[in-house]
Amino acid sequence: MQANSMNRNQSQPATATSNADRRGKHRIAAEVKRLEQEIKYLEEELEQLEKIENASAACKELLSNVETKPDPLLPVTNGPANPSWDRWFEGPQESKEQKNLQERDGADGMSHES
Amino acid sequence: MANKEMSVAELREKHMAAAETVNSLRERLRQKRLILLDTDVAGYARAQGRSAVTFGPTDLVCCRTLQGHTGKVYSLDWTPERNRIVSASQDGRLIIWNALTSQKTHAIKLPCAWVMTCAFSPNGHSVASGGLDSVCSIFNLNSPADKDGNLPVSRMLSGHKGYVSCCQYVPEEDTHLITSSGDQTCVLWDITTGLRASVFGGEFQSGHTADVLSVSISGMNSRMFVSGSCDTTARLWDTRVASRAVHTFHGHEGDVNAVKFFPDGNRFGTGSNDGTCRLFDIRTGHQLQVYQQQHGENEASQVTSIAFSISGRLLFAGYSNGDCYVWDTLLARVVLNLGSVQNSHENRVSCLGLSADGSALCTGSWDTNLKIWAFGGHRTVI
Repeated sequence: MQANSMNRNQSQPATATSNADRRGKHRIAAEVKRLEQEIKYLEEELEQLEKIENASAACKELLSNVETKPDPLLPVTNGPANPSWDRWFEGPQESKEQKNLQERDGADGMSHES
Repeated sequence: MANKEMSVAELREKHMAAAETVNSLRERLRQKRLILLDTDVAGYARAQGRSAVTFGPTDLVCCRTLQGHTGKVYSLDWTPERNRIVSASQDGRLIIWNALTSQKTHAIKLPCAWVMTCAFSPNGHSVASGGLDSVCSIFNLNSPADKDGNLPVSRMLSGHKGYVSCCQYVPEEDTHLITSSGDQTCVLWDITTGLRASVFGGEFQSGHTADVLSVSISGMNSRMFVSGSCDTTARLWDTRVASRAVHTFHGHEGDVNAVKFFPDGNRFGTGSNDGTCRLFDIRTGHQLQVYQQQHGENEASQVTSIAFSISGRLLFAGYSNGDCYVWDTLLARVVLNLGSVQNSHENRVSCLGLSADGSALCTGSWDTNLKIWAFGGHRTVI
């Protein structure tokens, strides 16, 4: 190891420090490369921003999409409603009456161990 | 002069100059975006005369409590059809539930107890889990149990160099899933071979610069997914382009713990340690709305998990202090707190998810239970 280092570079001593320097230099060089790539992406994004719509256009589309879709968890919703939405309150485990009684009495929701 | 010929001192100078350029470009972008943010969703909705959803006290109710785990519940996922749920817990088990009957159909003892995430395959025949072992394990629910009565692992997806924080199957593809990891990458896996099909980010590519905590795949275009990270950003990816994110979304001031695609596929929500949820638009990159509750004497709480109702009108958000807010996404108002109603969980909600038809919300908690919530009030259909 000692001999190789001496042949390779006479001006620097073959010590652990110079190896560390080389590794540190590689790290910084890699970081610089990453930053240069990031600069390229950011400049592209700045260019693209010239062409995009403002937020109100996106909000308008959002409102329309949200309000036209049927939603079983909303008190007021577009149809069509699906009867299976209410399956959680049917059958022997849980009926609407039982649910109301439980709420009144403050009991836990039912659970069944298999 | 090429970088490798420069001295360390010269390289350091170049690094500093490049970092300054990055910062100034980011600032220019921020200013330009501010100008384009002529309104947020709430401002727009109010201007259009919309008013907030109002719930009566017995409208959204807990109609099942699924008991069986003996440790904190960390993750849950519904099947794309029917009523089944898989949950993962600190007790080192996955449990498969029929949420309608409350029955457990499988209890799977995991090879590594430190589980963080679980997911159901699109056909409902398999489940995946991942955690501190850095591996995503696949279990085929139709396999026979081994001699100890345990379901064997049918495939192990190894390759991450850090914990697996989140996993999701690609919609309608039982053979592919995406994971996020503490090693700062997301990976698209081919389950049949167990190999990585693509790695997003990491050492040699542009990506997150800290642990990735969450992924969500678009239900409208399964080639697009978003990831959330401890680097405070969310990133949008195209699975065909692993070398860089399509877009990086800034705004949060803390870890982004949760990301979820909006039902229409053109937006996504995020939840963060900074206590806010946000809504971002994927085509323009705009931050459309911040969901932030003003706190009194209490400290701001961290958002642990989020989900949208099937229309997107409601945003459910679990917080570290035990709150589970129901936000009206259009008016940016909290319309209900499932953390303080009758039958609420007794500890923080760590995970939540909507059934495929949107009729039920499941919440999982550190109190070891899962709860099913549905609308039991009077519904007006227009």
